[in-house]
Amino acid sequence: MISHQFALIRREIWEHRSLFITPAVVGLVMVLTLLTAFIFASGYQEIVDIGIVGAQSLAGDTERRAALLAVLAGNTAPFMIAGAILTVFYSLDSLYAERKNKSILFWRSLPITDAETVISKLLTTVLAIPLIAFVVIMVTHLLILAMTSMFVSIEGGSSMFLIWKSAPLFDVWAGMLIIMILLPVWFSPFIGWFLFVSGWTKRSPLLMAFLPLMLVPTLEYWVLRTHLIWDAIQGRFDQLPLFKGIDIETLFDDSEFIANADAVSLLAYVDVGKFFASPHMWAGLVVCGLFITAAIYVRRYRDDS
Amino acid sequence: MSSLVTARNVSKSFGNVRAVDNVSFDIEKGKIMGLFGPNGAGKTTLLKAVLGLTDCEGSLSVLGLDPFKQRKELMQNICFIADVAVLPRWIKVAQLLDFMESVHPNFSRPRAEDLLSRTKVRIDAKVGELSKGMVTQLHLSIITAIDAKLLVLDEPTLGLDIIFRKEFYSNLLNDYFDGERTILITTHQVEEIENLMTDIMFINDGRILLDSSMEALPDTFMELITSGENADKARQFGPIYERDVFGKKVMTFEGVDPENLEGLGEPHTPSVADLFVAKVKGAAA
Repeated sequence: MISHQFALIRREIWEHRSLFITPAVVGLVMVLTLLTAFIFASGYQEIVDIGIVGAQSLAGDTERRAALLAVLAGNTAPFMIAGAILTVFYSLDSLYAERKNKSILFWRSLPITDAETVISKLLTTVLAIPLIAFVVIMVTHLLILAMTSMFVSIEGGSSMFLIWKSAPLFDVWAGMLIIMILLPVWFSPFIGWFLFVSGWTKRSPLLMAFLPLMLVPTLEYWVLRTHLIWDAIQGRFDQLPLFKGIDIETLFDDSEFIANADAVSLLAYVDVGKFFASPHMWAGLVVCGLFITAAIYVRRYRDDS
Repeated sequence: MSSLVTARNVSKSFGNVRAVDNVSFDIEKGKIMGLFGPNGAGKTTLLKAVLGLTDCEGSLSVLGLDPFKQRKELMQNICFIADVAVLPRWIKVAQLLDFMESVHPNFSRPRAEDLLSRTKVRIDAKVGELSKGMVTQLHLSIITAIDAKLLVLDEPTLGLDIIFRKEFYSNLLNDYFDGERTILITTHQVEEIENLMTDIMFINDGRILLDSSMEALPDTFMELITSGENADKARQFGPIYERDVFGKKVMTFEGVDPENLEGLGEPHTPSVADLFVAKVKGAAA
């Protein structure tokens, strides 16, 4: 069962090469942009010098750490957006394309159950997409830091002191890994719905997936004058129970307006306990499970080949 | 003889249409069974039921398993080629072999590589880059490398030129068939597999019109080329089908003692294609 899953997920990555090409392109664009910025910046020698002197002498450890945390964490945003888009398109395509190109007949001639196949597609969205993006993020971070330290060294600064000692790499990585694994879990009702539509619809999965998300709440409001479904959909986007609120009291020391070193951390804001204690998270998993079961049922029982 | 496939009163309906209507038959080990029927006769539905791709009424047992409920176990010992187009176009040959190796317990990669080395299919090619004939060669090589008990072929050579078709069947016989394995095959090109089959089954409107071994055909069926008065005499023995060829009558008889027809024309054993037409048209008349 588990070795089957590895083979099946590997197959998904072979088929959907965009799953690794997209994050790689995002990372490459980021590295090239930074390179251009450095080349551009070297034309402004004085300002750069002042910046480096400032960073070395005036700023404290915590400020340097905070600045690098902002850079490293901020860099992950384009990857997250790319990952979200990939998840939508991949999950809508995965059970649709095999029927469209009739390869489903070949896949079903092998000793693999429909449940194993559908689950492999679910695991690709919730595990493979985030993990691939995560590895690319780590590589991008290392490249960005390496380039920055080269630039700093060329400009006469101490890269070891400025960059490598201050960069909260492992904090950002651990935090990102948790966030990237748990985000798809939180959004799993949508993923389940997309996979179901992908396995069920005879045409235009994108339209068939998004239209009901608008129409059903509208219908509910017309008929029942309630908006429960809309609230549930919207709630997925504004009630993610994964972060602690930023507390100004702990962020700054009372006396001096200097950031508290413990608070300059991504991990410090991730609240895994709150996530798993959230009934909304579990309710979402149940909804996802229902859609996945329906997707398995449709693949097994529908005979449209 | 052990029966690999046992069907008793198998039916399958789509709405009001009975695609397979109360069908019973057996396929024994080591046989090559040809299944023929006009388009829409229920062939593909019957094959799908055998492969566990669709559920059905009645009792159907394949290798002692319920094909629909135990599809995974069944697929370890059954292979099928449904149509030439089903291998995914995006996959590379090497990836396909990797994948087969990791999911199929009875797949032998060295055997597949050996079979492929005799074709023009390159290991690093993508399926989408191969010609239709090469895709079929690839598919057959993979299937042949699986140590399976039953091979189901549904129009395997559709759209291939004559050279690839001939090669397909010669490879099938030489590399796959060993007397232990069993083949169930459907095709419209009846002539090409006439000498290959050991058993034959005709199906029309979801019902079986004929289920016989090839050896038994000459004893049961006879075709008579006749004309004039002789034709009238022969007609009294109830030909199942009659057609005109160059001003002569060609009649097909089923289960009529050859002695009765002696002297009434030229007797011979009908070809499978002619027999097929006679049975289908005769049943419709």
